[in-house]
Amino acid sequence: MKTWAILLGGLLVWTTHFFGLYAIAEIAPSRWITVLLTVPCLGVDAFLLLRGRRLEVRDTFAGWRRSIALGGVALSLVAVCWQALPPWFAGTE
Amino acid sequence: MKSETGFDPDLFNRFPTQGDRPEGEEEGLKRVWCAPKGWEYLTVVNNNYVGIYYLGTAFLFFLLAGVLGLLMRVQLAAPLMNVLPQATYNQVFTMHGTVMMFLFAVPMVEAAGVLLLPQMLAARDLPFPRLSAYAFWAYAVGGLAFFGSLFIGLAPDGGWFMYPPLTSKAYSPGINTDFWLLGIGFIEISAIAGAVEIIVGVLRTRAPGMSLDKMPIFAWAMLVFAVMIVIAFPSVILATLLLEIERAFNWPFFDATRGGDPVLWQHLFWFFGHPEVYIIFLPAAGMMSMIIPTVARAELVGYRLIVLAMIATGFISFGVWAHHMFATGLPPMTAGFFSAASMAVSLPAGIQVFSWIATFAVGKPRFNTPGLFAMGSVVIFVTGGLTGVMVALVPFDWQAHDTYFIVAHLHYVLIGGMVFPLFAAMYYWIPMVSRRPLSERWGRWVFGLMFGGMNIAFMPMHLSGLMGMPRRIYTYLPGSGWDTLNLISTLGAFMLAAGVLLFLIDMARNFRLAPEEGEAGNVFGAGTLEWLPTGLYSTRSIPVVKSREPLWDDPNISEDVERGRYFLPRTATGRRETIVTSPLLAEPQYVQIMPGPSVWPFAAALFTAGFFLALTVQAYLFALVSGVLGILAVLCWLADTDLPVPENDVDIGAGIRVPTYVTGPQSHGWWAMMILIVVMGMIFAMALFSLAFLWGNQPSFWTAPPPMLEALPIALGYLAVIAAAWGTRELHRIGKSWAILPALAGAIVAPALLWLDIGAWSAVTAPDAGGQGAAVFALFSLQGMVAAIAVLMALYLGWRQLRRVVTARRNNTLDLTCLFIAYTGAQGLVGTLFARSIGA
Repeated sequence: MKTWAILLGGLLVWTTHFFGLYAIAEIAPSRWITVLLTVPCLGVDAFLLLRGRRLEVRDTFAGWRRSIALGGVALSLVAVCWQALPPWFAGTE
Repeated sequence: MKSETGFDPDLFNRFPTQGDRPEGEEEGLKRVWCAPKGWEYLTVVNNNYVGIYYLGTAFLFFLLAGVLGLLMRVQLAAPLMNVLPQATYNQVFTMHGTVMMFLFAVPMVEAAGVLLLPQMLAARDLPFPRLSAYAFWAYAVGGLAFFGSLFIGLAPDGGWFMYPPLTSKAYSPGINTDFWLLGIGFIEISAIAGAVEIIVGVLRTRAPGMSLDKMPIFAWAMLVFAVMIVIAFPSVILATLLLEIERAFNWPFFDATRGGDPVLWQHLFWFFGHPEVYIIFLPAAGMMSMIIPTVARAELVGYRLIVLAMIATGFISFGVWAHHMFATGLPPMTAGFFSAASMAVSLPAGIQVFSWIATFAVGKPRFNTPGLFAMGSVVIFVTGGLTGVMVALVPFDWQAHDTYFIVAHLHYVLIGGMVFPLFAAMYYWIPMVSRRPLSERWGRWVFGLMFGGMNIAFMPMHLSGLMGMPRRIYTYLPGSGWDTLNLISTLGAFMLAAGVLLFLIDMARNFRLAPEEGEAGNVFGAGTLEWLPTGLYSTRSIPVVKSREPLWDDPNISEDVERGRYFLPRTATGRRETIVTSPLLAEPQYVQIMPGPSVWPFAAALFTAGFFLALTVQAYLFALVSGVLGILAVLCWLADTDLPVPENDVDIGAGIRVPTYVTGPQSHGWWAMMILIVVMGMIFAMALFSLAFLWGNQPSFWTAPPPMLEALPIALGYLAVIAAAWGTRELHRIGKSWAILPALAGAIVAPALLWLDIGAWSAVTAPDAGGQGAAVFALFSLQGMVAAIAVLMALYLGWRQLRRVVTARRNNTLDLTCLFIAYTGAQGLVGTLFARSIGA
């Protein structure tokens, strides 16, 4: 499980953020709640990024795992920011 | 990275072994994996045969749906044509889309997985060969019967996404829509059966040493594909179930005048429907990533990035479903982030395209037929991708929605993203199964006609769409400005068809199936394991994998494998078997005894199809009989599996011994059960979403649910069911002979608890009273189905206990039954509490 969590961590953060946004938009559309969701998600991504950089690279598998993990987190950082922008501009107070 | 299972990786250095193997080993393998004769072709289960059956049938559906496409193009070639009457045209376009998506695209890539994966992973077969056979026969029998509805004028006619209220009883009173709803039912079952097989196969039956970072990219693609099926298909399963129930029993899930909502259908359908595009695209992209390095004679550029892109596509594709619904009036905030996610999903697809271009650039590409199709695919897919980014923009989508621009876009994506890679794959891999490769000269003509025809057919549709031509119209008036464009499209469609016809002729000339031996072999000089010499038992011995292209890196590997110098060079137990390895590092864990040929998967599939088709034509007694026979056939199929064997552990080569049986999370059966539980859980989660959605959108129809306090005894009962399942496992572990009794009791109590819950809700509402009642009783229906399966499994477990085949060491049936009963309790608990909390 640990390796799967490392590999998919960033993308799981993206998933949480996306479905959180969907719930906010359907139940209580508000740009501030969007911020409340987005900032912790970015925080978790930043944490995963720091942890990922410290992962061992002793052999090819470990190196591969580290690069997939870091790539996923980087993608998640970009995607979370990107998908939070429209709610910020279109959301109600 | 330390060992995953305690296996010493230095043991791999014992291979290849030296010297000759004892005589008779290969004969033993041939005897166990023998070829079928006569009617045994119906009972065959190994992937060499089932994969070919599957591919052939899926391609047949491609041809049939293609003919329907041509009929449509003839009708639209000029204004006011009268080749197809309006009603027939509606059936033809519905069947064209449905057959292409459900009977061709998904089964085709699943078939490619069944055929290629065992060879690529150097497994003897996928871990559940009878499940593969069942999946194929259910699909083939049901699919042909479904297609036959067209010839009696009963084919569905509501478009391939079947939106209510058009498809409700009021506007579609015939059984045409039921053919779609129930016909798709068994195809969904077949797809999920295949997905279970592929996930467990890829994660558990790889050759020793083939850690995740050395896995062929096609296997990665198939893994993501299968996981996506498990997550996405439950949504459409639920949607079809709800609409069929609405039509049959008047439960108003989608009737806005009675507390339902037709937009709910769109959410459920597109939560499946958009990932479906990537479900089709990813395996094709995996094929491209296998073919291009061989064609370019270079290692794939950016292997890690491609794996990441595939996983990311799998995730992000579930966040784009509502971009099909921009025109329904979504709130601006929702439309905004769905638009953003729709643009974001083009990034991982772009990564793959750039990797392919870079591989061509750094290598020395050969412009042979697979190479031409691969390059053509890139051009077409990128064009479709660009128009995809355009329609991800909400204002543009409002203009282009339901016009021929969308028809052009989706054909560019699907033909570039799936059909061209598929043709590249057929030219590339046919030498693996045929005595002769296909003709290079003819292949270039096929490519030229298909590439030219495709662009001539679909490029003008962008313009006709922008000029306002709506999709699905059966004719148009002269002078609308669409005449010339439509004529060009029709000419292009026939050119495309000419290419396919040429391909068929080439197949007839050159394709000669060689499942046992004598295939043309590695004519393109590829580096992956599927090009090792094989027989019906796959490879003679299972190699240790040390790189991603073992055939390029170890010139002796083919000879060593063929001489039996690696793992499992013989049949260790005298039965069909393969090595099960650990999911991350592929360390050998145990030998799986595989089931052999059987008539029961075929019979079960026949009765499954019979059940659904009988329901469609409202022959309820026949459906009941067929359903019962189907269940009996499955029980007979299972009866000779999971049986004790004399050997507790065996030598799998070079003195390495592994067990022949394991239980719990190590066993492949446990993995399959967990995947099945995820499927059931997803169906249930989508039903919970439906209830919440209707409450959010139709609150004026809501009545107060029964008090939460009344649910306390029911909730405690469900907790007891979970405890009983857990208790049975523990009691069995400490050797109690009566251990299965708590599980039996739990399975019987679960339906009783459901009955209590139904009683409480019946005092408040009824299933046909409104959307709330319909959604709550749909939850009960699902719980009833799960509880009935749990009872059946418990009885089956009891029967096996009486046969004394459940022992302290060999208890997988007990383990898996307990898992399912515990899930039944958990689902009942969540459903009871959730239904009462919504609108309380």
